[in-house]
Amino acid sequence: MSLLRKVATLSLASTALLTGVFGSAALAGKSDNTIRFAYDQAPESVDPYFNNVRIGVIIGQHVWDTLVYRDPNTNEYKGQLATAWRQIDDRTLEFDLRQGVKFHNGEEFDADDVVYTMNFISKPENKVVTQANVSWVEKAEKLDKYKVRITTKQPFPAAIEYLSGPVVIHPNEYYEKVGPKGQNDKPVGSGPYKVTNYVPGKSITLEKNPDYFKDSPKPQPKIAKIDIRFIPDRQTQMAEAISGGVDFIMHVPKDQAEQLEAVPTLQVVSGETMRIVFMQMNTLENTPAPALRDERVRKAIIHAIDRESMVKSIVGAGSRVLNTICFPSQFGCTDEGATKYAYDPAKSKELLKEAGFANGLELDIVAYRERNQTEALIGYLQAVGIKTNLRFLQYAAMRESIAAGKANLTHQTWGSFSVNDTSAATSNYFGFRSEDITRDPQVRDLLTKGDTSIDPEVRKASYREALKIIADKAYAVPLYSLPVYYVATSDLTFKAYPDEMPRFWEMSWK
Amino acid sequence: MTDIALSVPTIPEPSPTMRLVRRFLGQKAFVIGAGILAVIVALAILAPLLAPHDPYTQNLALRNVPPFWYQKGSWLHPLGTDQLGRDYLSRVLYGARISLLIGVSVVLISGIIGTTLGLLAGYFGGKVDMAVTFLVTTRLSMPVILVALAVVAMVGGSLWVVILVLGLLKWDRFAVVMRSATQQVRSLDYVAAAEAAGASTTRIIVREVLPNIVPHLIVVATLEAASAILLEAALSFLGLGVQPPLPSWGLMISEAKAYMFFSFWLIAIPGSALALLIFAINLAGDGLRDVISPEGRA
Repeated sequence: MSLLRKVATLSLASTALLTGVFGSAALAGKSDNTIRFAYDQAPESVDPYFNNVRIGVIIGQHVWDTLVYRDPNTNEYKGQLATAWRQIDDRTLEFDLRQGVKFHNGEEFDADDVVYTMNFISKPENKVVTQANVSWVEKAEKLDKYKVRITTKQPFPAAIEYLSGPVVIHPNEYYEKVGPKGQNDKPVGSGPYKVTNYVPGKSITLEKNPDYFKDSPKPQPKIAKIDIRFIPDRQTQMAEAISGGVDFIMHVPKDQAEQLEAVPTLQVVSGETMRIVFMQMNTLENTPAPALRDERVRKAIIHAIDRESMVKSIVGAGSRVLNTICFPSQFGCTDEGATKYAYDPAKSKELLKEAGFANGLELDIVAYRERNQTEALIGYLQAVGIKTNLRFLQYAAMRESIAAGKANLTHQTWGSFSVNDTSAATSNYFGFRSEDITRDPQVRDLLTKGDTSIDPEVRKASYREALKIIADKAYAVPLYSLPVYYVATSDLTFKAYPDEMPRFWEMSWK
Repeated sequence: MTDIALSVPTIPEPSPTMRLVRRFLGQKAFVIGAGILAVIVALAILAPLLAPHDPYTQNLALRNVPPFWYQKGSWLHPLGTDQLGRDYLSRVLYGARISLLIGVSVVLISGIIGTTLGLLAGYFGGKVDMAVTFLVTTRLSMPVILVALAVVAMVGGSLWVVILVLGLLKWDRFAVVMRSATQQVRSLDYVAAAEAAGASTTRIIVREVLPNIVPHLIVVATLEAASAILLEAALSFLGLGVQPPLPSWGLMISEAKAYMFFSFWLIAIPGSALALLIFAINLAGDGLRDVISPEGRA
């Protein structure tokens, strides 16, 4: 009976909300110059090196700084903690560092911080979560107090892109003392906002850093406080947004965002993001789903899914169908020459029959977000005779199950840490890293060549070849890019960027 | 003489069956409950004939169509469509099958386990009774929903896993009621008579005791069926029960949750269906108890 009661209460509550609260709220944020931001996942750690969820990236860019900054409007690289840099040889970059920058705890920023951070993250035993972001670093050395050299293991053309994104600089004295655990308990960076209160799994409060250095390409923040609450339930987030309890939510599903547009106190802003959606298929030697080792089955799966319709109807504005596992704006990403699979359920059934599954087959699918899209995928697979068991998990649990080789099919999304280079996308899933569940050495070698060659043409050719093999052998199902819908209080001025990064430091009130 | 004989009105003696039928019909609660239940069962069985569409066919071009009484609705999809464009009426009809299947199968499994244990404990008493009582206590100390969640999370959810888990967990009430009912019957004269006549233990349990506790069994079964259906809905709502795209009412409520603010019918329709079914089963069960138990007889 408890379920019924819950349903009854909920529907009553929603009616009350709709009739009572419209129009009365939303002044709270502006009046105390605070943005209340609700997000559905909590990071495993606030330290940007020890989580790989979007909210971690968002907090990372607000609390910490990077050596280089990529202007999201022009994609131009600007000096942030570095003022100038030059390529010394194929594997060496030299940086002049900014003087007079202070971390939130008063520690002065200098070459030691850069050297310590780079050397710390480059060591595999320190277990940075996304190795792709850091494994290219060999070492860093101090030339003088404001000059460092960073050496890469191999020629690594995308280095500046990484140094402007996920590779933040930690204060060396503090970090040495407290380590990643302490940096999570009491985070200290040099960014435009500092953490003033953090309750793991529940909320984190960022306050404007009044001493933020004036020459930073990130403008001085205007909003005094960002109150981030982790609210896993989308309905609660929406209720809070309607009633003015939160000022900013993101990743709102298309249908709900369209409905919220009707609420006068709210505005809906959307745009395409770099986040790609795809399905992985476990073809490893010891795969729990041996059927997936058959190329025909994999092709049948791709043919079964009507990506065009999904994009048009349930994914939303700004999304596009992909044919390769990377985002089109990323350097080296292309679908030239790659096999494209049209929606063709008849052919799909045909292929399954050829492969000996005329009576259908049963597969597990793991997923962690956009459940309505997962269910559409399941519906399409069901229509050609593939029954699925859905395991809808938290991201960390899903990643673990993939890394352990236990997954069959995955409904995966990847935002590349907003790095505009194919090395941040394709290589992460096909370069023999933990979540690679296809492991084709030929693909790996091509990707490595692309990741480590200096000549842009060589890079492009290697990525093209790798992406072509992935598509031709149907190692994964490329689906579409994801749009992001932000719903915010109508008096906030902000812009949606394709890197899925709300930049609170440049937001202001109308 | 003949005149007088004719003038005596003959009162026909009703047969025992007729008396039972009348007693049932006298119970309004039972009539209403059983009536609704019969309709739902009929709808479920005839779903393939009645459903206007295939409940699995998704049509992304026709998503979130409201029911017919809205301006944008149409009779093509009387109750509208869900977020993947599947016909809602068809899914609700097929959902009844899942709920009833769960209710009946769980009661079958748990009923067999519970009744066997209860009969043994009640009939033999002593050590057997102690062992069964211990089992029941152990079982009662485990919260059903928690154990079910844990098991389903470990082995993965599917219709049969849910049925098995609930069936293997929900036998406690059967065991308790059957045990005390058997204890009562055990001391009655006809059991003693059967023993004196040299009937075997099995024969006494199956032929003398069991038929006389069946009424209790039926009442417990209705209660348990209702609770199993609710538990399945709860598990599916949490994403750990029946797998999509199967049209389980709990799953439909869970999927509709995202649309609650602006399209309440998506959650209200399967919710009411579920409420109605549970209501009907409980009403029928209650009425049945009143009809069967001597205290309830007028």
